[in-house]
Amino acid sequence: MKHLFSCLLLAAVTSVAPLARAQTSEADLLAVLKSDAPQERKADACRDLARVGTQASVAPLAALLGDEKLAHMARYGLETIPGSAVDGALRAALGQLKGRQLVGVINSLGVRRDAQAVAPLAQLLGAADADVAAAAAMTLGKLGTPPAVAALRQALGKVPAAADGLLRCAEAAPEQAVALYDAVRTAPVPRHVQMAATRGAILARGAAGLPLLIESLKSADVALFRVALRVGRELPGAEVTQALAAELGKFPADKQNLVIDVLGDRRDAAAAPVLLAIAGSGAADVRISAIRALTQLGHSAAVPVLAELAGGTDVEVAKAALSGLAGFPGQEVNAAIVALLGKPDAKLRCIGLELIGRRRITGALAEVLRLANDADAQVCAAGFKVLGELAGANEIPALLVLLQKSPATQSAEDALAAVCVRQALSVPGALVIQKAVYGALPDGPAADVTALVAELVKSGRLAIDASNRTFKDPAGGHTKQLRVDYTVNGVAKSAMVRENQSLQLDTSSAVSPNAGPLLAAYAQAQGAPKLALLRLLRSAGGAQALAVVRDATGSANAEVKEAALRALCDWSTAEALPDLEQLAQSAPDAKFKILALRGYIRLLPLQNIPAAAKVTALQQAFRAAGRDEERRLVLASLGTVLAPEALVAVGACLDSPNLKAEAALAAVALAENLVKTHPAQVAEVMQKVVKSGGNADVLKRARKISGQIKKAGQGK
Amino acid sequence: MKQPGGAGAGMSRRTFLAAAAVAPLIVKAGVLGRGGETPPSERILVGGIGIGRRGQHDLGWMLAEKDIQFVAICDARRERREAVKQIVDGYYGNTGCAMHRDIREFLATRTDLDAVLIATGDRWHATASVMAMRAGKDVYSEKPSAMTIAEGQAVVATAQRFGRVYQTGTQRLSEANFVAGNELLRLGRLGQIHTVRAHISGGNAVMNKAWAPGEPEPARDEVDWDEWLGPCPWRPYSSQYIKGGWRNQYDFHTSCIGEWGAHTFAQCQVALGLGDTSAVAYEYVNNASGDGMVTRFANGVKMVLQQGGWHGSCGVRFEGSEGWVACADGYSRPEVSNPALLADYAKLVQDYAARTGRALNHVRNFFDCVKSRQLTVANPVMMHRSMSTVHAANIAMWLQRNMTYDPTKEEFVNDPEANRLRSRAAREPWQI
Repeated sequence: MKHLFSCLLLAAVTSVAPLARAQTSEADLLAVLKSDAPQERKADACRDLARVGTQASVAPLAALLGDEKLAHMARYGLETIPGSAVDGALRAALGQLKGRQLVGVINSLGVRRDAQAVAPLAQLLGAADADVAAAAAMTLGKLGTPPAVAALRQALGKVPAAADGLLRCAEAAPEQAVALYDAVRTAPVPRHVQMAATRGAILARGAAGLPLLIESLKSADVALFRVALRVGRELPGAEVTQALAAELGKFPADKQNLVIDVLGDRRDAAAAPVLLAIAGSGAADVRISAIRALTQLGHSAAVPVLAELAGGTDVEVAKAALSGLAGFPGQEVNAAIVALLGKPDAKLRCIGLELIGRRRITGALAEVLRLANDADAQVCAAGFKVLGELAGANEIPALLVLLQKSPATQSAEDALAAVCVRQALSVPGALVIQKAVYGALPDGPAADVTALVAELVKSGRLAIDASNRTFKDPAGGHTKQLRVDYTVNGVAKSAMVRENQSLQLDTSSAVSPNAGPLLAAYAQAQGAPKLALLRLLRSAGGAQALAVVRDATGSANAEVKEAALRALCDWSTAEALPDLEQLAQSAPDAKFKILALRGYIRLLPLQNIPAAAKVTALQQAFRAAGRDEERRLVLASLGTVLAPEALVAVGACLDSPNLKAEAALAAVALAENLVKTHPAQVAEVMQKVVKSGGNADVLKRARKISGQIKKAGQGK
Repeated sequence: MKQPGGAGAGMSRRTFLAAAAVAPLIVKAGVLGRGGETPPSERILVGGIGIGRRGQHDLGWMLAEKDIQFVAICDARRERREAVKQIVDGYYGNTGCAMHRDIREFLATRTDLDAVLIATGDRWHATASVMAMRAGKDVYSEKPSAMTIAEGQAVVATAQRFGRVYQTGTQRLSEANFVAGNELLRLGRLGQIHTVRAHISGGNAVMNKAWAPGEPEPARDEVDWDEWLGPCPWRPYSSQYIKGGWRNQYDFHTSCIGEWGAHTFAQCQVALGLGDTSAVAYEYVNNASGDGMVTRFANGVKMVLQQGGWHGSCGVRFEGSEGWVACADGYSRPEVSNPALLADYAKLVQDYAARTGRALNHVRNFFDCVKSRQLTVANPVMMHRSMSTVHAANIAMWLQRNMTYDPTKEEFVNDPEANRLRSRAAREPWQI
């Protein structure tokens, strides 16, 4: 009967999932301990009692402390049970146990910080079993009471772990710390323990520990020197900083570097004068260390010095100074950096510009625009570079003026192109949520969450968490997806992510807000600036810009015509597709026929049309292509259209010796995305990829996909 | 205590170095300090504890450092001891790598060692680290740094008490791509950060506790099962465990959350400048893995645990009012909301290196700090605090409820049951 009860109880307690065990009662667990259940079940019960056990568990667990197989798990259960009964039980066991079980109980008394255990533990310091004595010393160290300290001091030099115990005691008793650390550091204990005690002895003395710190720092003993490096970072006080700084010049270069690092880590401006002096002259590696330390200090007086060094002749020192200024903490330093733009020395103006770019100081753009017109060509180029990095819509008119006036046309064009691209990417269009669905898409249960997503967007959110917390769970037990159809300035877009991912709404508008000023400037421009503006219109994009470029392709001026044709062939949005299709067929120059076809192939996947229609269009382009080079581009584009039709289309080229490499690459890319939804088609094409041979990496990916299908039982 | 036949057993640094310089028949020039390399007397002597596949990866990085000499391996498994010896001896062209089975004997006798590489399974990391630091070694420990909050506290306290340098193997903190992402955040280019996402691995947060069917215990020299188990509860030997089956075992592993969260939580907290604290709120999610769990820091930033949506392992994503950046092992460059954010990628990384003086090489950063006594990039406090976030997330999953954690007191608020899961009694004779 008892056996049957045990089995039933075991079934209830242990055969369920671990989470459900959280609900298991203490009584059930104790019943397991009292039963003749196997060791594993009893160990499980102890583990759970560690979480739910009360006073009622103390005696049953304590009874196992001498059990060779369950002693540890008994302590596992006992250690976390609140109340003094556990301490009493553990103390009582001290006199009854030996060997590892005794060590375990001693350790548990340490975990529980049972101050009443000091006397029996002090006795055990003299145990013949070295493990028992060591455990007693460690536990006495954790208890840290005056009697514990006294016992450990007596054992110092006799029981190796007594020193460890005293180090702990010193941490807990600041009033005795100096004496305890001194006792340990002068005792016959291992060297590394003496070093630990030396560290403590310096720190415990506070400012009075400074002489010992300096003495250690000067020591030829590497271990002691390393202790000083550590403590030099830990001991507070300006007087410590000053003392360390005062010693700097007395060290050889290798030590000097390490002490400079200490001063940097102290973040105390008191070290700045010495560090500034060192940064200015001497060995390069020491100067670089000083520069890094000055940067850590963030002391503003260092800025002009670092700027000077950044313009110096020593390349490594200059690089360190520039990086130091780029990462110099705080915003206050920005004013000092902007002030460099007014320096007579062109090199300093260049450094100022470089730093304005690296620190993204947009408040200085007016000054930067002024320097883009500087008499010095290098300053001018540096200015345009920064403008390209930082300027926005507000700076475009001024940049257009510079484009037409500055001799540095190319620099101005580059800057404007960067600004246009960035503006097109970052300026949001009018966003309207058309439809949002969350659920087991495409065919499972789902909820229409259009209103909620629209509300989130209205509140400023562009990243929507696809989760049951954002939307209620419409399909319990299923992996869900969120699909949002929306428009930006009337242009349809769609995005889908799986559960627990974030759906980022892309609000960038295809219609650039920058085309207006560019178009106005284009109308007035002549010569090289006019050609540059044609290229910039491509960067800006939009219907108006496209119309102007299209018109310029008929220009009587050969240079304008060529620039316009190139801009058109390089257009970045699908609006140019009709123009490119026409050019690819009828351009008078074969060169532009090819360029137009290439642009056409590139833009086809960007259209907002069904994937199958994109595949059809690309297949037409494939047939129209007269050369393998363009056919390969078609295959690459097909690889981006995630549709089974695309997989079939690229699969058909796996037999072609000249195209099979690109076809295999595209096929694998598609297969990785379609393997779950179209396993049969994927399996067939992957088989062909493997047969076609070729690139080892592609073949490995194909085999992996085939393996996935086989594993899922979906393939052949 | 029985001492296995480790060649370096009981040696002082000087006698070992003398033996290493004399014993081999063929000695590469570098070992003797020629060719501009660090002479042996100035090298950092390193030993290994528990070196398997992951450890061998670390070992490869370490051997490439010219100012270190790897001289001994301690492992409970003979097969692994011998494999490491073969690699090390093959690299140096000598027979100098000593083998040890017993960690206590190893640490007690190899007083010549400056540092140890610990790459055991999760169960041993903290205990071995504490033991090694008490023995005066600096420690490079694989992640996760600890199995429990209490173990993490012990690692922090011991490193401080003995003035040791400690680094956890969260190597992405020293990789350019991840550093660039962190710098974007630090420089404010992403605006006000509201959400970070941390990759957790496949598998479950709720782990198995059942024993695998027992097998005859191998000879102690072959597999020292008692040593292999270390501080964990005893269970019968099974070859499954030593072949990697220790993963997803409650006694041995920190779950799918700890598997990669040990990396990614640290990456997020370092990027946010929250390396000295832990998340304060944990929202339980009703699934097996913790995927989608939202945790929050005291400053309001939320960290979402996310299994899918990454290219490669250990991904993080930082989302701010002005943009986002995402990175995982499979990204050739971090992904960003706007390419302009990373236009100066190389300078971002270069400025980081110059500003911090840290090498973009995790083991190098460790050895530099062994010499300078600076804090490593994955120092004990940062690792303990980020691992506390891992432990708290696990505990929320295990107890199936939301949690509030007080990082100052290092305890759960009004949840005694959760607080009892902050520690586990170590099997005797081990202690921290």
